Amino acid sequence: MWTWRRRDHDAVASCREVGRVLQSYLDCSLDEITLRRVHQHLEACRRCGLDAEVYTELKGSLARHAAPADPSTVARLEEFGRSLTDPSAAADHPAG
Amino acid sequence: MKEARPAKGDDPDNGDARREAFGRYVLPEVGMLLRVARSMSRRPADAEDLVQDTLLRAFRAIDRFDGEHPRSWLLTIMRNAEINRHRRRRPDLLDDPDNAITGIAAVPSPASEEPEAIVVGQTFDAVVADAYTKLPDRYREIVRLVDLDGLSYAEAAAVLEIPTGTVMSRLHRARSRMRDRLAAAGLAPRRGRR
Repeated sequence: MWTWRRRDHDAVASCREVGRVLQSYLDCSLDEITLRRVHQHLEACRRCGLDAEVYTELKGSLARHAAPADPSTVARLEEFGRSLTDPSAAADHPAG
Repeated sequence: MKEARPAKGDDPDNGDARREAFGRYVLPEVGMLLRVARSMSRRPADAEDLVQDTLLRAFRAIDRFDGEHPRSWLLTIMRNAEINRHRRRRPDLLDDPDNAITGIAAVPSPASEEPEAIVVGQTFDAVVADAYTKLPDRYREIVRLVDLDGLSYAEAAAVLEIPTGTVMSRLHRARSRMRDRLAAAGLAPRRGRR
């Protein structure tokens, strides 16, 4: 996790600093202090704010293309998993 | 579907704890495992087999699992299962980009949107889809795992057996390339000097 140096906590984040951690910010992988500083900068800096907006839309577009796992296959695999924990099934199918 | 076969030497006294741990840590992740297995396998049947292997291995190893980061633990097991599944080459992550991103026409648009917004949205999605398919394999597999399959950096690192920092830097470069294509298409501001 990316974290800001302690002495920088109260300083205003620069565009360069924000650029370095922007992707982690978008993926919610920053500590709370850094996240707050980046958020403040994005509110105040139009160029970085626009950049963040584009990347957010980009992530959204990719997520829209993610095909969900087939529910019937998931159900079949869950059933298989449950059968592993079933003592009577274990008796039916001795190890070997 | 394979038969469920517990490992040799199962301790009956420990059975309840194993079942409880398996139900708590493993079964809720079946959907995630299937999504990632699909990324690692060429055919859907291979993905299902891979998840089955992973479930079996996880059940056999559950009493050695400490309860920390179950997703990363499961993804490591799946990665090892895949290696053992007779594939000596690198897993064919995204060998066929068409399997990962389907036609733009299939993307639904909210009915409430204005026609102009729908056209712009479809264009944006089309450029993103095109940019994604043109990414180098090492970048595309990261985008697939993080942005499409929803894995964290650490989880993607476990799947690919690379450091988390490498996941982050590849993801940054991949998104940067896609953003540049959006800018070239007039759908994003051009990058200025900082």
